[in-house]
Amino acid sequence: MSATSHAHHDEAGQAPLVGSLGVDSRKLGLWAFIGSETLFFTALITTHLIFYARTKAQLTASGMLAHMDPKHFLGINLTSVLAAILLASSLTMVLALAASKAKEWAKFRFWLLATIILGSSFVLGQAYEFSHLYAEGLKLAPQFVYEGETVKSLFGVTFFTMTGFHGLHVTLGVIWLIAVYFKVRKFSASPENPMDVELVGLYWHFVDLVWVAIFTLIYLI
Amino acid sequence: MAEHATHDQHAEAHEAHGTRFYWMVGAILAIITTIEVAIFLVKDTVGHELFLAILFILSIAKGAGVVMFFMHLRGDARIFQFVFIVPLIFAVTMCLGFLTIFSNYGGIAG
Repeated sequence: MSATSHAHHDEAGQAPLVGSLGVDSRKLGLWAFIGSETLFFTALITTHLIFYARTKAQLTASGMLAHMDPKHFLGINLTSVLAAILLASSLTMVLALAASKAKEWAKFRFWLLATIILGSSFVLGQAYEFSHLYAEGLKLAPQFVYEGETVKSLFGVTFFTMTGFHGLHVTLGVIWLIAVYFKVRKFSASPENPMDVELVGLYWHFVDLVWVAIFTLIYLI
Repeated sequence: MAEHATHDQHAEAHEAHGTRFYWMVGAILAIITTIEVAIFLVKDTVGHELFLAILFILSIAKGAGVVMFFMHLRGDARIFQFVFIVPLIFAVTMCLGFLTIFSNYGGIAG
């Protein structure tokens, strides 16, 4: 066996999908996807920041800002809890990966289930926040109602588009985690399990990373 | 190629952490989040510029922690760093550029 082919075999003797760059093609593809998603979410966040600033300037010019700031809608109590939940899910995810690499399948199932539960809690929390905001007057429409007054603004459109797409990514991540959970449970001897867990883990941490940016730029600032 | 692959494996082995390390990183990230929220609650007393500076530093530290230690980008193959960091630089540049163009102060787009 040559040095190259030896280096390309993992601990279980299974040859991963190694391309000409000497790395696993699936992992490279996922990193490239994460790179493109970085641009996608930055575009959404930038758009929201621009239209939030415009709404604020418009309200300042008309002397209405003291009475109606769209930021009023975005309380941080619930979103701080959601940030903590997603952060905790990143920790449980990396612990699941460590357990899968050590072939400790009972621990792996525990940590992956914890990640699934935390991810689902985040989605439910976001759904609650959306329904609450909608009831308060912030809608997916080019205007919002604040204390009985209607303000023309894209604040609601850009906010729901951005956080909605993030929520969609979390939902897809939960579905992917569930699929990996059952796949590993059925084929626990498969040498591809650690890479499968690593791939879903990369995606999951990226989703957490996006929330770090959204939480700071949209809710805190 | 063999050298690259071996180097990558060595780097990965070097970066392999125990569960205790992950718990420690998780605890530090939780502390950073708590400080962020605490600063938000007292932002009127610290001044807007200082508030923004502290918040940006903490958020960058938190994001870097997730990418380097949870996503294991630190010490992983250079190609992974390349396909993530290059779009990230583009994204940050795009964001800052558009925010400047559309700002009320120095912007050219109103």
